[in-house]
Amino acid sequence: MRKLLFFIPFIMFVALSVFLFSGLFSDPRQLDSALMERQVPKFQLPDLMQPSKIWTAAELKGQPYFLNVWGTWCPTCNAELGFLTELRQQGVRIVGLYYVQPLDAAFGETFDINALQQEVQKKLAEQGDPYQFNLVDEHRTLIFDLGVSGAPETFLVDADGVIRAHHVGDINPQNWPELAQAYQQLVRK
Amino acid sequence: MRLITMLLCFVWCLQLWATEEILPFSDPTQQALFRELTHELRCPKCQNQNIADSHAVVAVDMRRKTYELVQQGQNKDQVIDYMKTRYGDFVHYKPPVQWSTIWLWLLPALLLFGMLIFVLQKNRQQQTSVIETEPSSLDAELQAMIDEVATKPDTVAGDKKP
Repeated sequence: MRKLLFFIPFIMFVALSVFLFSGLFSDPRQLDSALMERQVPKFQLPDLMQPSKIWTAAELKGQPYFLNVWGTWCPTCNAELGFLTELRQQGVRIVGLYYVQPLDAAFGETFDINALQQEVQKKLAEQGDPYQFNLVDEHRTLIFDLGVSGAPETFLVDADGVIRAHHVGDINPQNWPELAQAYQQLVRK
Repeated sequence: MRLITMLLCFVWCLQLWATEEILPFSDPTQQALFRELTHELRCPKCQNQNIADSHAVVAVDMRRKTYELVQQGQNKDQVIDYMKTRYGDFVHYKPPVQWSTIWLWLLPALLLFGMLIFVLQKNRQQQTSVIETEPSSLDAELQAMIDEVATKPDTVAGDKKP
C-alpha cells in the first residue's frame, strides 16, 4: 500500500506529460462545427456569374455536395483550387461560397460585381474551376450563419441539406481520403 | 515653456482613446451590455482574443451582429445563444457545465478534498504516534526517578543544603 502511494506522483506526472504531449500535435483551428447534423441555414444568395439568379437552400438539395468557402484574396484557397478541380473531374460536386471581405467606404471601396466576376474568372482560368457554380455572399450572412471563421472552410452537405462534415483549412491529397469516405457513403445512399 | 510642452504631450496622448470604434447608443445599459458581451465573446479566428480586441473579419462581423442584437433589445443570454448556435460553445469564454467539462469544476474540488483527507490523516498519525511513544522505557525510568524522589523528599532537600 505504501509503495503504491509512492508511485502516485510518478503516475500523475506521466499522465500530465501524455496530455501535454498530445496537445503539441492538436490543431486548435479544428473546431467542431456547431451546425453538425443540422440543416444548412436558410439563405437567398445571388449566383456570382449571373447575379439575377438567386439560390436558396432548398434548391441545393437532391444530391450531396461540398460547400467550399473561398475567395481570390485567400492564398490557401487558391492553392487548393487545383486539387478540387481534379475532384470535380472525378465527379465530386462542389459548390463555391464566395467570401467577400469587408469593404471600407472611407477608402472609397465599393462592391463591384463586374470587377469581382473578372477577377474570379481569371483566377479559375489559371488554377482550374472546381465549382458547379458560386454563391456570392456580399454581407457574409450565410457565412456568419454557418459559423465560418475564415477561408478556406468546407462543409459536406447530404441530399437532404444536412451538414455531415466540416473541414477547416485546405483540402489536399493527405486529408482527402477521410472526406472522400464520408462523401461516398452519402452518394451510395 | 516646459509646462506647455508637457501639456501638449498629454493632449497628444488623448487622441489614442479616440481610435476605438464609435457606436451610438441611446441607452447606457445597452452600451454597458455591448461592452460586456464584446469582452466575453471569443474570436474564433484569433483564438485567445475577445471580439472587442480582434480585427479579424469574423470578429468585426460578430461585433456588428452583437451591436445589432443589443439594439434590438435582446438580453445577454439571448445574444450568447445566438453566437453559440453558429460558432459553438468555443465562442464564449465561460464553458457550459457538461459531462466533458465537469472536470473543470470537479478536479479542483477533488484535489482540495484529497489534500484535506491527507492532512487530517497525517495529523491523526502524528497524534497517535505521540501517545504511543509516551510509555517507553525512558519514560518509565524517568517516572521511577520521580517516584524515588517523591518518596524521600527530606534527603533530596537535605542534599541541597550546605
